[in-house]
Amino acid sequence: MLIFRKPIENIERPQMPADVVIVGGGPAGMACALRLAQLIDAHKAAHPDSELSKENVYVLEKAREIGQHCLSGALLDPRSMRELLPGFEKQAPLDADVTKEAVYFLTEKSKFKIPTPPFLRDHGNYVISLNRFVKWLGSKVEEAGITVFTGFAGCELLYDGDRVSGVQTDDKGVDKEGQQKSNFEPGYDLKAKVVILAEGPRGSLTKQLTEKFDLAKNANPQTYGVGVKELWEVPPGRIAKGEVIYTMGWPLTTKEYGGAWIYGSSNNVVSLGFVTGLDYPDPRLDPQHVLQDFKRHPFVEKLLEGGKMIRYGAKSMPYGGWWALPALAGNGWMMIGDTAGFLNAARLKGIHLAIKSGMLAAETAFDALLKNDWSAATLDAFQKKVESSWVKEELWKVRNLHQGFEHGLFAGIFHTGLQMITGGRGLRNRYSAVAGYERMRKLAELPADGGAEKNLLGRAKGDGKLTFDKLTDLYHSGTKHEEDQPAHLVIHDTNICNVRCVKEFGSPCQNFCPANVYEMVDDSSQPNGKRISLNPSNCVHCKTCDIQDPYQIITWVPPEGGGGPNYDGM
Amino acid sequence: MKILVCMKQVPQKDAPLKLNESGTWIREDVSYEVNEPDAYALEEALRQREKHKGEVVVITSGPARAQQVLREALAKGADRAIHLEDEKFVGLDAFNTAKAIAAAIKDEPFDLIFTGLQSDDYGYAQTGVILAELLGWPHATIIMQIEKTDAGIRVKRELEAGYFQFVDMPLPAVLTIQSGINKLRYATLIGIKQAKNKPLRKVTLAEVGGAIGNNLQKIERLYVPQKTKKTEYIEGPAGEVAKKLVDKLRNELRVL
Repeated sequence: MLIFRKPIENIERPQMPADVVIVGGGPAGMACALRLAQLIDAHKAAHPDSELSKENVYVLEKAREIGQHCLSGALLDPRSMRELLPGFEKQAPLDADVTKEAVYFLTEKSKFKIPTPPFLRDHGNYVISLNRFVKWLGSKVEEAGITVFTGFAGCELLYDGDRVSGVQTDDKGVDKEGQQKSNFEPGYDLKAKVVILAEGPRGSLTKQLTEKFDLAKNANPQTYGVGVKELWEVPPGRIAKGEVIYTMGWPLTTKEYGGAWIYGSSNNVVSLGFVTGLDYPDPRLDPQHVLQDFKRHPFVEKLLEGGKMIRYGAKSMPYGGWWALPALAGNGWMMIGDTAGFLNAARLKGIHLAIKSGMLAAETAFDALLKNDWSAATLDAFQKKVESSWVKEELWKVRNLHQGFEHGLFAGIFHTGLQMITGGRGLRNRYSAVAGYERMRKLAELPADGGAEKNLLGRAKGDGKLTFDKLTDLYHSGTKHEEDQPAHLVIHDTNICNVRCVKEFGSPCQNFCPANVYEMVDDSSQPNGKRISLNPSNCVHCKTCDIQDPYQIITWVPPEGGGGPNYDGM
Repeated sequence: MKILVCMKQVPQKDAPLKLNESGTWIREDVSYEVNEPDAYALEEALRQREKHKGEVVVITSGPARAQQVLREALAKGADRAIHLEDEKFVGLDAFNTAKAIAAAIKDEPFDLIFTGLQSDDYGYAQTGVILAELLGWPHATIIMQIEKTDAGIRVKRELEAGYFQFVDMPLPAVLTIQSGINKLRYATLIGIKQAKNKPLRKVTLAEVGGAIGNNLQKIERLYVPQKTKKTEYIEGPAGEVAKKLVDKLRNELRVL
């Protein structure tokens, strides 16, 4: 019997008052906190008797340390950082200037260089480790006098009528059965004037809020990809520092959306990863397997030969773009960064937009502090700030990009070309979209051997040198959780897993999860002889299950704070 | 009771370790955490204070980043902290570390000093014992339980093969604490916030430098062990396999 995580009921919770609570200490949350600190400092310098204070501005971060759950390619477009901290290049951990870029179309054995489209010209950007970058940005936030609570997740929103009035943090010391242990520590009710959600893609509080107030009713459904990444150390001379390579095509077929990145970093470290669009048709497809197959391409194999894989991780990313943005602010809340969907899918970049959206939200929160008005009337200004900033300008040009690929690669290339010469419009101003999980087909509708996709399906075996099975990769994520706690992958109806899904889709959770959390185990008491079992401690917090499960019965909630991957250098 | 807890920041257990250029230690670009037995030592000190009143002071020696372990200790309830902060304190051997700690606390009358049993990185298990010797105090190692008595304390030591030893000791004393002696508490939001305003005394190298000499122990070379195990399959009919196996055991490995 699976016991799922939920807040302990009927207990007295400690309360703590706050002005601003930012949920999530990634690039968006940290930029927001830092910008707010700057504005408050400047105001106090000009008005020494002002009562404004940074004392009650808090950042909640579920990782044990700042930056530990941050994973990206990553290339940083410095535009927003230059606005936030002019001259940041002198002190931030930047691994390399982009010196060279190339885009290839791969077939199984060959590669064809294609002209680099304007949106993938990356000169002027930096190769960074997002983990190290956020660690540094977080230290700036702490130096500015803002308290970052690491090891604490926001797990419930508090409401006062139709107003968000705070966040409840995670209960600590709850055992597998959901009972309090001797060191039980109840989650706090952090009563806030405004809660800024910066949870990253598919945030769990964002999901609650979006459903409660139907915030996405005017938006396209958000679409996602999952990036599976490995960090390698390779012999010198394989790739230049600052060299950037993108590939399309193999091992994916024309039916899946996605592609790979390869970035040359410092110290002969190579960041490589494969983003698989979470709208593929075959439930047997396994994104971790896709990355392993990609590495077997002669071009990649030659690059990695004799090297060593040093880190592994996975993270989802929102592709939906401008039309998929939900309402961004309301009574007592705003949302920024990936959790809202600020990502440019054409450029495969979101960090600079996360930072900019965080800054704009900070400016809005600052105005609200001055007015002491936290209602939608004041906070809605955030929406307008976004619309009149370069964030919209950038996203508007690519507003229809991902939707253009919904009918496959060739249609996608056609639409992209058309959109490029029509300022992002293409055939019409707004392309619609469907949620990716709806595109998953039942086994009965697919060829038994997998057809053109057969090499991508099921588990990667791995040779232990170039390619790895999932558990070997997972070990390199450094993920760790308190073992004795309820499962944080909340399955609302396990009967669907055991009775329907196993037959209809063949339990795709086992495939799409890059961390081996989901397992169908033998159980003769079940109609199909299989029962869902969970290994929650393996979870790398990528949220793919919440996004991609075809019945939408999985809700990812934060496990006990402090648990999760350790993305050192990722 | 006034208790000092010696804590150390060590590389995280699952951190991917890379050797430094000179092959004498690891590269520093890893995540760090509190040395595990030190966390239990702190918890034990907090519990003793809850029972017998008094004060819990935490001390660490290390670079600026090591302040994190003190902040965590203060957040969990320690009253104040001492940081021997200088790059020169990094890489001291146990003897010099103990001398630096002894010099830093020479004006403070502690009843008990706790250290973790050993550090997760060097694993010397010496600093606590040497510190006791330098102070002229009694010590006991691998502590599983501590009870206050009229004359001092009674401690339970873990021996091998499931045996324990009970020892009565006078105070002051140094105890090195075994992991698992208690159940660790969690830091709370209010604890973390209050920790910001708790006293943290920084001790410079100049203040204790006189006590420190050359390291008596040093790491000559650190290397990743090479896999040397080989598996050989002997194939054929059972009788022949047995014969070949006996031959190998007798003549190649000489174990028969």
